[in-house]
Amino acid sequence: MNASLLYKITVVALLLSISSAKAQTDLSSTQHVEVSFTGRLAGKPFACGSQYESVGSKKSTVTPQDLRFFVSDIDLLDANGATVPVSLDQDGIWQYKSVALVDLEDGTGGCRNGNAAMHPAVTGVVPAGHYVGLRFSVGVPYELDHGDPLTAPSPLNMTAMFWNWQFGYKFIRAEVTALPVPHAAGNGENAEPPAATGTGSASQVVDKSQRRSSGFAVHIGSTGCGNGSATVDPDHECKRPNRALVTLSQFDPAKDVVVFDLDRLLAESDVTENSPDTPPGCMSGENDSDCLPIMRALGLPYRDSPAVEQVVFYAEPKQ
Amino acid sequence: MSFTVSDSDKTVTLFVCLGIGLTASVLWAGIAPLSGQAEASATQLANAETFRWNKPTWAPTPPVPADNPMSEAKVSLGRFLFYDKRLSVDNTMSCGSCHQQARAFTDGERLHRGVNGLPGKRNAMTLTNVAYLPSYTWANPSITSLERQMLIPLFGDHPLEMGMVGHEAELYTRLSGDRDYPRRFRATFPEDGGRIDLRNISRAIAAFERTLLSFDSPYDRYKHGDPNAISRAAKQGEALFFGERLECYHCHSGLNFTDNYTQQGLKFPETGFHNTGLYNEDGMGAYKSSDHGLRDITSNDEDEGAFRTPTLRNIAVTAPYMHDGSLPTLESVIGQHYAIKGHAALSPNGPNPLRSDFIEGFSISDAETNDLVEFLRSLTDQQFLTNPAFADPSTGPRQANAAR
Repeated sequence: MNASLLYKITVVALLLSISSAKAQTDLSSTQHVEVSFTGRLAGKPFACGSQYESVGSKKSTVTPQDLRFFVSDIDLLDANGATVPVSLDQDGIWQYKSVALVDLEDGTGGCRNGNAAMHPAVTGVVPAGHYVGLRFSVGVPYELDHGDPLTAPSPLNMTAMFWNWQFGYKFIRAEVTALPVPHAAGNGENAEPPAATGTGSASQVVDKSQRRSSGFAVHIGSTGCGNGSATVDPDHECKRPNRALVTLSQFDPAKDVVVFDLDRLLAESDVTENSPDTPPGCMSGENDSDCLPIMRALGLPYRDSPAVEQVVFYAEPKQ
Repeated sequence: MSFTVSDSDKTVTLFVCLGIGLTASVLWAGIAPLSGQAEASATQLANAETFRWNKPTWAPTPPVPADNPMSEAKVSLGRFLFYDKRLSVDNTMSCGSCHQQARAFTDGERLHRGVNGLPGKRNAMTLTNVAYLPSYTWANPSITSLERQMLIPLFGDHPLEMGMVGHEAELYTRLSGDRDYPRRFRATFPEDGGRIDLRNISRAIAAFERTLLSFDSPYDRYKHGDPNAISRAAKQGEALFFGERLECYHCHSGLNFTDNYTQQGLKFPETGFHNTGLYNEDGMGAYKSSDHGLRDITSNDEDEGAFRTPTLRNIAVTAPYMHDGSLPTLESVIGQHYAIKGHAALSPNGPNPLRSDFIEGFSISDAETNDLVEFLRSLTDQQFLTNPAFADPSTGPRQANAAR
């Protein structure tokens, strides 16, 4: 029995040494890859503290509140369309296993739930080769989405991305606040709400509560995750995973940047209005009509609307 | 005093003799990588086995997560954190803001309010005997520990409650700068040097919440030896409660008058989520679009309007009632809800077709309603509502001002 055990150990050890030798070989012919992201709003670069005009279906004036999202399972595409996984640098902060948090907010201005640190570029290694495209998933993979956030490593311990009521993480946290439109004849203190449709003097007696700037939040995450059991963690994929798949057939990491285009995300949304009795904006709820155009822009199926090609992410040359 | 790291066993013994003062804790942290961890685990196990629960012997021991054994130090730390307003973004709210002892750890509001002053989504739930629950919040079978439940009020975006979302680093800074917390965390969590982080904060608060046990109501005393502990009316109400006409006990069953129950050693916890017919917005059983209950979590159509059965212990001091606080009194819950096949029966759409089979309505006289309410009042545990051990440690117990 001891001899048999010794034999097994030897075989395993040999196999391990072979596989590690193979990894060594691969490492010697790998190349570093950096995938850069940028946010776009009203056709301009996304930046906390800035004002943007003409956003959404009602051409509203807004200021950003947040823009963070998880990307995972990043592949480069070779000329034949084959996918080659990018092995992410494990930096202990932004990137863990196959998932990375892209953070395009810097905590200034209206980004009050944010912080100064940003992470606009995801880094890793791929086997040396010639690549022409990029593919990634927007979200946290199922295997990592339902662990204990109290013991999870960074970036899965960042509370801004917690989505505890759905037992997972927010995949996308994109928020803007519509700014009250200044009264034509008044000073900045007497701002009128953008939604006020009253005429002349009538609009001067608007309920004070309406003067508050109204936030429009896009929080995308998996829903339908409970399995009905109070004792068993979700043991299968959620009913609506809500992970957008992005395929950019022409993308050169050295020359191109991935754009997260909030104009396209919010194109059909009135960011000053919210469907009654639903969370502000779209928080992935099943019965929130505000979610319909958002989900469609991300290519995600929603209610009777089928999965389509996403339009929010695209590639363009670095500036 | 001099010692060597290699002689750490003796060192630890010395520290124990000295008690865990500030200096000792620092030194302890220094040797932790070598032997402190094993020692700490052993100590915690011992604490878990010897922890003295404040409960009668007839009450089963609540379950405790394997990674969060009970200890006096942890409960004490958790109590400070529970009442600490620095746990909210603008330092205005603590857990105790919505969970007030005098109201059996509820807030008397229809809907809880957050730091932004706006009403939230649901009625704040009691923490009475919360340790025995297999899942938390009004309808979320996936939230199975208090440690994770509290992430919702602390970090939720919508509704906004304590508003700490994205501000965890600031939270750690606030607590680390406190005069007492660093020492308390080190004494409570020696295995990691008393790290002030979310895991330890949540474990301490959860440990405190698990001590919120209520087993000293007049009805408890009646059931355990004192035939005169409750009134004649309450006894008649008890008979109604456990009778087939009213059917109350089918869901409000067992130790805590709820079909959601677990205890130490129980392999298969009981869970119960029910549609009681409160609303019927479309004639087909839909609840209001703001809250579909269990269905919002599971996405199963059959879970429309289903909510976890709440305990009835201390129910007389936790008005208003239902998940949205829409029914103001116990009398209205009985007469305007359960007696008439659910409150939706009063709406143009009539009773909710998806409601529980046990909600079939009943006839009940005013006198019987009074008896039933008397029975429910006999579940109020004054000792629980005034126990100094549960009160804000900075102010002491508050006078109970909630209606009995």
